[in-house]
Amino acid sequence: MTLISATAVDGSSVQFIKKDPMQGGVKDVYFSPKKDYVVAFFRKKLDIQGKERLERLVGKYREGIFGQQGSDFWRDLYRWPEKIVEHGGLTGIVVPTYQSKFFFGRDTDRDGAEKEGKWFASAKNFNKYVPPGDKGDLLGFIRICINLSRAVRRLHAAGLAHSDLSYKNCLVDPASGSACIIDIDGLVVPNLFPPDVLGTPDFIAPEVVATSRLNKTDPGRKFPCRETDQHALAVLIYQYLFHRHPLRGKKVHSQDSVEQEFLEMGERALFIEHPTDHSNRFVIQPNDKDFLPWVDTQKLPFTLMGPYLKELFLQSFVNGLHSPQERPSADDWEEALVKTSDLLQLCPNSSCVKGWYIFDPIAKTSKCPYCGTSVKGQVPVLDFYSSHDGTNFRRENRRLVVFSGQYLYLWHVMRNMFPNEKLTEADKKAVGYFSFFKNKWVFVNQTLNSLFLIQNDNRKPIQIGSSVDLIDGSQLLLSTEKDGRIASVSLVNV
Amino acid sequence: MRKLPIYILIDTSGSMRGEPIEAVKAGLQSLFSGLKRDPHALESVQICVITFDREAKVILPMSELDNLRMPVIPPLESSPTNMGEALELMCQLYSKDVVKTSPTAKGDWLPLAVVMTDGSPSDTGLFNVMCEKLSSPSSIYRFARIIGCAAGPKAKTEPLKRFSTDVVSLETMDSNSFAKFWAWVSQSFTKHSQGTDMAMDELPPPPVEIKIAI
Repeated sequence: MTLISATAVDGSSVQFIKKDPMQGGVKDVYFSPKKDYVVAFFRKKLDIQGKERLERLVGKYREGIFGQQGSDFWRDLYRWPEKIVEHGGLTGIVVPTYQSKFFFGRDTDRDGAEKEGKWFASAKNFNKYVPPGDKGDLLGFIRICINLSRAVRRLHAAGLAHSDLSYKNCLVDPASGSACIIDIDGLVVPNLFPPDVLGTPDFIAPEVVATSRLNKTDPGRKFPCRETDQHALAVLIYQYLFHRHPLRGKKVHSQDSVEQEFLEMGERALFIEHPTDHSNRFVIQPNDKDFLPWVDTQKLPFTLMGPYLKELFLQSFVNGLHSPQERPSADDWEEALVKTSDLLQLCPNSSCVKGWYIFDPIAKTSKCPYCGTSVKGQVPVLDFYSSHDGTNFRRENRRLVVFSGQYLYLWHVMRNMFPNEKLTEADKKAVGYFSFFKNKWVFVNQTLNSLFLIQNDNRKPIQIGSSVDLIDGSQLLLSTEKDGRIASVSLVNV
Repeated sequence: MRKLPIYILIDTSGSMRGEPIEAVKAGLQSLFSGLKRDPHALESVQICVITFDREAKVILPMSELDNLRMPVIPPLESSPTNMGEALELMCQLYSKDVVKTSPTAKGDWLPLAVVMTDGSPSDTGLFNVMCEKLSSPSSIYRFARIIGCAAGPKAKTEPLKRFSTDVVSLETMDSNSFAKFWAWVSQSFTKHSQGTDMAMDELPPPPVEIKIAI
């Protein structure tokens, strides 16, 4: 064991143990003595441009993201290189180590392995190899997707593109709903730092695959950029929510396997759940039992995730699949996912593998699609209305499906609030909760100081510390402030 | 679902006795455990191990990683190195195991193979026939990669080059260089199981102790 001390370019001291490096694609990775950071050396000598990219990455770009509002928030979402080290003629970067939640327990069959996304994105791995305590639930996976969308949204807002988003480069923990983007050193800055990899198969955008055989200087050749990140993000989200790949269906494009891959992921890429072209629908084979039920698109179609995500999946994999400019932005995904999390209904079966499902008030979903448990009774649904002037309230495309024990937050109450890095700690506190109590549905007001029940044109104030019954057809004015919403209550019989 | 078949062909002629064969066993063990740690490999890889000396034998039929048992290699005796027979057996199994893509259904991923020897083939007639079958452009036995490994001072790389896509030579047959070789193979396979059939050229570089003969 050799302990090496070196001085980083910023003058601080860096130590690492030079022994059995973990080998990545282009880097050898060594741990610091306390294992609180790693030093990753590029095996090849970097050119001037490569070094400049790293300098900007640990300098300007890092400060741009971490130096502003919500810097702690971003620290959890990225493992961002912090320093540059030169040692033995090679260039290395200092990166904080991953949090322990991103490793499987030493006592499980997975024996301390990293929780890279593939464990969870693949149906067989999820069914057979992920230890039960690490499987999380549907809410956990939705939170993973929200975190990923946020992380990508912030990069894009800074004018950067990741260029190699894949399950390899994102660690996830469904049990806590966490995600973290790693291997950030390949970042692409349009017109300044070109990409150095094509990406990871499964995530490379069709136009990049389709033009990959052209010469690098050919004007028709497409490279990773913001739009290809958007494709990769959509694929990641689809895989985490459904445990299957959106483009790998039954369609044979060529009997030559290299050609098949080139066409299937490139020029002829086709959504396996395309609404009208059914030619790439997945066909379940007798030896696919390890992959069920996740690959069964009849039983678990993408439309299960509710109206907001359905729209974005269609926009990504139908309209935008071959038209990069039509792909939804990371922002669109974040908003749709947050809105979708308000449609979750708790599955009454405590051993259900997903624990939750998306409730559709129009179809009146009466069965959990994952375990088949029937749900009986009334589900309260709050439809939100808002106004720009405090008088004319318009219906928003947004609702809250209520379950017993659910909390209401300020971002439900106020039209101008959204749960993201801009929220203060005070704004993150619940303002009240819902409960099925003594055979009826009630809302308990904890902190709303201008909550009113509106019924037959009468306004009745609901004091803090008191409750209001959820009555079909009634309305709740959640706040009298200008951006306060009205919630229209319906009780849906299932 | 598509599987990724891997064939491992190991020379068990007398000259492998002692440290070399023990190192091969250790190498297999670490290859298996390395692949089992990898979610890409676990999803699709299946492994078959063939030994060859006087005859070629399947000591591990095509198996999924999670119910894989370490195959038992019987004590080695002085014998010829019937590599041709081993290649023939691999091709027979290929026809049986590997699902080919048809006009209406996708088949398996293109298989991978490793052939490790410390000598040169004794059954030259059959060996020549098999080399032609494997290397012909219209071969029905298509592989994504065949890694040939010539281990030790007596091993020749020329015969391996006739059917392999990559040939490496290990100068010494001690457990250290074997361990490095198998670690490299494991990394290549892992990379391949992520990479599918498109990214064949993006493999990790071999460690410094292994010479790439091509």
